[in-house]
Amino acid sequence: MRVAAVAVNTFRETIRDRILGVIILFALAMIVASLWLASISLGQQDRMIKDFGLVAISLFGLIVAAFVAASLVRKEVEKRTVFIIFSKPVSRSEFIWGKFLGLAATMFTVLAGMTVFLFVLAWVVAKSPSGSLLLAGLLIYLQLLVVVAVTMLFATMTSAILASVWGICVYAAGQLSHNVLSLSRLGHSAVTHAASVFVFYLVPNLSAVDIRAAVVGEGAVAWTSLIAWGGYLIAYLVIALFVATWIFRRKEF
Amino acid sequence: MRMLRGSVVAAIVAVCVGVVIGYQSARPAAATPNPVVFVPTPGFYRNFSPGVRASVADVYWLYTIQYYGEHLKSDHRLDSLPAMVRLVTTLSPHFTEAYFFGAFAMIDVGRPDVAYALLQQGFKANPGNWRFPFYLGFFAYTYASGAHKDQVAAQWYAAAARLPGVPPFVARLAAELATKGNDTQKAIDLWAQVYGQGDTYARQKAVSALDGLLPKGTVAREKAVAGLKGFVSPALFDQFIADLFQGYK
Repeated sequence: MRVAAVAVNTFRETIRDRILGVIILFALAMIVASLWLASISLGQQDRMIKDFGLVAISLFGLIVAAFVAASLVRKEVEKRTVFIIFSKPVSRSEFIWGKFLGLAATMFTVLAGMTVFLFVLAWVVAKSPSGSLLLAGLLIYLQLLVVVAVTMLFATMTSAILASVWGICVYAAGQLSHNVLSLSRLGHSAVTHAASVFVFYLVPNLSAVDIRAAVVGEGAVAWTSLIAWGGYLIAYLVIALFVATWIFRRKEF
Repeated sequence: MRMLRGSVVAAIVAVCVGVVIGYQSARPAAATPNPVVFVPTPGFYRNFSPGVRASVADVYWLYTIQYYGEHLKSDHRLDSLPAMVRLVTTLSPHFTEAYFFGAFAMIDVGRPDVAYALLQQGFKANPGNWRFPFYLGFFAYTYASGAHKDQVAAQWYAAAARLPGVPPFVARLAAELATKGNDTQKAIDLWAQVYGQGDTYARQKAVSALDGLLPKGTVAREKAVAGLKGFVSPALFDQFIADLFQGYK
């Protein structure tokens, strides 16, 4: 119940943020800009609108996830408002989980809005409504929730800016995670191999399914793969939040 | 003093605006498009960016179109186009329009061999798409040289005719070419197929062609027609025989 109270408060706080509004406007502008790319694509309007639209949703969603998540925890600590919260019967883990769920609700609102906008655009302009677009939006949302959780974990340890930068780096590393394992097989050193395997398990695997390729007709993705990957991402963010909670409990203000 | 300062600031801003606009407007004139551009190997992107492969392919698709338009209007050289199309199609093997565009673009610069190879690559990646063997047949017929080009084209059209979604005229085309290429048995089989699958017009064409290809003697014709049972449905076969034996007793 207390988690819900923190979450509702966080949702209200973040959804009213002007920066969020500006980012959403830019994202919508970028999605509309995909119309221009579509117009020079030699008959590939449908593909270009969907692909570049999803790219815009991912990138602007990442900005929201990394910057808002980092400031959520740090702002409370730096402004000392955290003392007021903790003077009430709210534990530190409830604080972290409440913050996460509140931002998750905001992210859902933002991404759902952008995805539905893209869906309608593809429908009206390219005459190609595609349910897979909505599914892609959901999977992008799950990816970004992992970024939110990891950024919140970093925010319990360092400054807001550093936490944001690290969150974005984790997203980039997550897109390349499989390469770590591939590279480890090239070397002959047992130490580097062990280190690579460790990094492979440590970094979230955000590229297991190329959902954008599936949306533009580049092969179908099996439901089992999607469900397994979704389960993996949820498990990963839960671990990240538990670690964040563990660190935050030991923090002295 | 204040007015002087304002004038100096305005002058500096005006000079800076002039430099910026002057530089940018001079750029297109200064830049000469190079027909040989750097195109990364598909393997680099395939291995490095599994999560964004389709997006990279789409970016290169736009770049490819720009390159094509730029050079077709100027020096008529598309040296890097095969590599670009290969990059796009390797990253996005089911992007069928990229193969077709690349193939016709290579025709524009007199490289039908490259166009043909590109379509073969596309057919390998999309074996269920009838347009690939159809265009391969078209390219073989139009641009190949040699005595057997009709037969090669007929074989591609016949391959296309077997795939789902193909328009009925493709089978007719295959049969026409096999007839022209003197591949009699192949032509008979294909015309029978046209009869079995086609509309009234296609059947008239098939009967007319088969009449010329089948033996004239009654016994020999009966034997040849019996071998065509597999191409025409049993419900249609009596009509098929009646059409082919008009004027025979």
